[in-house]
Amino acid sequence: MKPTYAFAAFALAVAMPIPAVAAPIQTLMYKNPSCSCCETYAAYLEQNGFKVELKPTNDLSEISAGLGVPAQLQGCHSVVIGDYVVDGFVPVDLIKKMLAERPEIAGIAMAGMPIGSPGMGGQKTETWKIYAFTKDGKAPTVYATE
Amino acid sequence: MGANSNSIDGSPSIEIAKGTRVNSDFSHFISRRGLLVATTGLAVAASMRPASSLATAVDERRIRAAPSQARFTGPDGPHTAVWAYDGIIPGPTLRLRQGQPVRIIVENELNQDTTVHWHGIRLPNAMDGVPGLTQKPIGPGTSFVYEFTPPDAGTFWYHPHANSLVQLGRGLAGALIVEEAEPVAVDRDLMWLLQDWRLSGDGQIAAGFGSPMDAAMSGRVGNVVTINGTVPADQSVKAGERVRLRLANGSLARIMALRFEGHRPVVVAIDGQPCDPHEPEGGRLLLAPAMRIDIVLDMQGGPGKRYAVIDDYYDGLAYTLTTLAYDNAPPLRAHPLDTPVGLPRNPLPEPDLSGAERQQIVLQGGMMGGGKLAGVGGMMGMAMPGMNGGAAWAINGMSMTGDGHAGMMPRFTLKRGSTCHLTMRNETAWWHPMHIHGFSMLVLSRNGSPVPYRQWQDAVLLAPKDTIECAFVADNPGDWMLHCHIVDHQMAGLMTVFRVT
Repeated sequence: MKPTYAFAAFALAVAMPIPAVAAPIQTLMYKNPSCSCCETYAAYLEQNGFKVELKPTNDLSEISAGLGVPAQLQGCHSVVIGDYVVDGFVPVDLIKKMLAERPEIAGIAMAGMPIGSPGMGGQKTETWKIYAFTKDGKAPTVYATE
Repeated sequence: MGANSNSIDGSPSIEIAKGTRVNSDFSHFISRRGLLVATTGLAVAASMRPASSLATAVDERRIRAAPSQARFTGPDGPHTAVWAYDGIIPGPTLRLRQGQPVRIIVENELNQDTTVHWHGIRLPNAMDGVPGLTQKPIGPGTSFVYEFTPPDAGTFWYHPHANSLVQLGRGLAGALIVEEAEPVAVDRDLMWLLQDWRLSGDGQIAAGFGSPMDAAMSGRVGNVVTINGTVPADQSVKAGERVRLRLANGSLARIMALRFEGHRPVVVAIDGQPCDPHEPEGGRLLLAPAMRIDIVLDMQGGPGKRYAVIDDYYDGLAYTLTTLAYDNAPPLRAHPLDTPVGLPRNPLPEPDLSGAERQQIVLQGGMMGGGKLAGVGGMMGMAMPGMNGGAAWAINGMSMTGDGHAGMMPRFTLKRGSTCHLTMRNETAWWHPMHIHGFSMLVLSRNGSPVPYRQWQDAVLLAPKDTIECAFVADNPGDWMLHCHIVDHQMAGLMTVFRVT
């Protein structure tokens, strides 16, 4: 990933409500090499204005932990978007909200792989909690409920 | 062309000319032949042993499980706190003799219960090392005496069956080699115990054993792979030599696919049991946790040359495990040996498929397994820390979790002496090496196609959606385990028990 380019795209994304023709937002996805649902989620991100570079790794838990994702929220991939991390099948609207509002957090995550979430397919059957986490060791807080 | 003068590393080499053997399958009368081999083996072994052990004819060993330190990256690397047998990683290689009784005293100096499972050895149920099911666990500060007579020669290994994820993941494992009654004609006999470690940035074994993601996906795959306890440097080899290389995967979860650049390995045994010698498909050796493959490698590279040994199992993550580095000496011999590479068969009872009892197990669950586990209501055993008390996997709708404990009810019962025709069907999206305790299974078919080479295995690897048929004679009474050897999967429900009356 080219940091300058990513930053430019990111700045653009933040500066205006994202039009359909905006340059894609560069992301880097660390993923479990054996998991295909990560790729489904990557395709979902790409359909929604992101460009995803895939980086399979067997060291995901160490990488995710290093990015600040609490152990209990770690999923099969961690996506680095600018200064933020998105872990699990977080709906794209929430990612865009975070990028626009720029809260003082390390990132957001949805634990588990609930049915109906982007990447899993099927019909949504339950309420999802998306958590915000920081790198200072404090307990995650609910960022959104879907 | 005797190889005696050519021993490179001081390991015993033997006269090649004597090693000529008929590579036929004597399975029709394998029992009698096997008995003969075993008897001869005992006589040979006894004649070579010191007088003290002659008196009892029991080979006595002692191993001690305790915290220790290891240096995975060599003498200058950081110390890693581990748990080890006799203080070393891996534990001492136990070399036993086919057909000779052995007594192994296991001392537990850990701060928790342990047991030892003699993986792949067909032995009495009470010696199998499963806590609760076959023995009372060995408490801290106490010991247990394991006694058995290995019937089969080959490559096996030993490891705990208590708190398995943590105890194996922190280093408790060792190779167990049962030597053939007659030595096999090779220049060198090498053992590679492959282990995979998840280390954190400070070089210590990372915490987080049993995370839900590991449990429901590929297991605790690590970030450092060692051969015999160290990140491998070059393997020094000699042009023209014939090597028997015993590969064993002692990892918690890492599956490997090894290719020997510029070489043509010939598989001569799988899971300790000789098979018809063959080259693996695409020259690639698929080695899942708990599996062993013995290969014969004729070193046909040129003096001074280097050849990579590559593991390319995970997409996009191929790496060079080690390098075969030829010394500059001229080839040991002008042409590869034409001695047959086949090993003598072990005395396994031949399944009688016509009168076989049919059993089926279906592997279910995991991520991408079609949603939530159906029918996990049959959950038994302890809840896994980090699993929210739930199981991630099931066999035939039932999740048996943990390592083994009292009160595990067998899912099916076999009459002693009967043949079991076992079908294993993987409904999940993940790979599973399914390990049977107490028996070796003849692998009959994979997805409807016959499996050639008369392979007997105790850990059968199922790809996603695979169906595999196997058969074995239920000649050993007791309650036996059958479980996935990706240890996170076993702990989280991919386990069952059957009974032989």
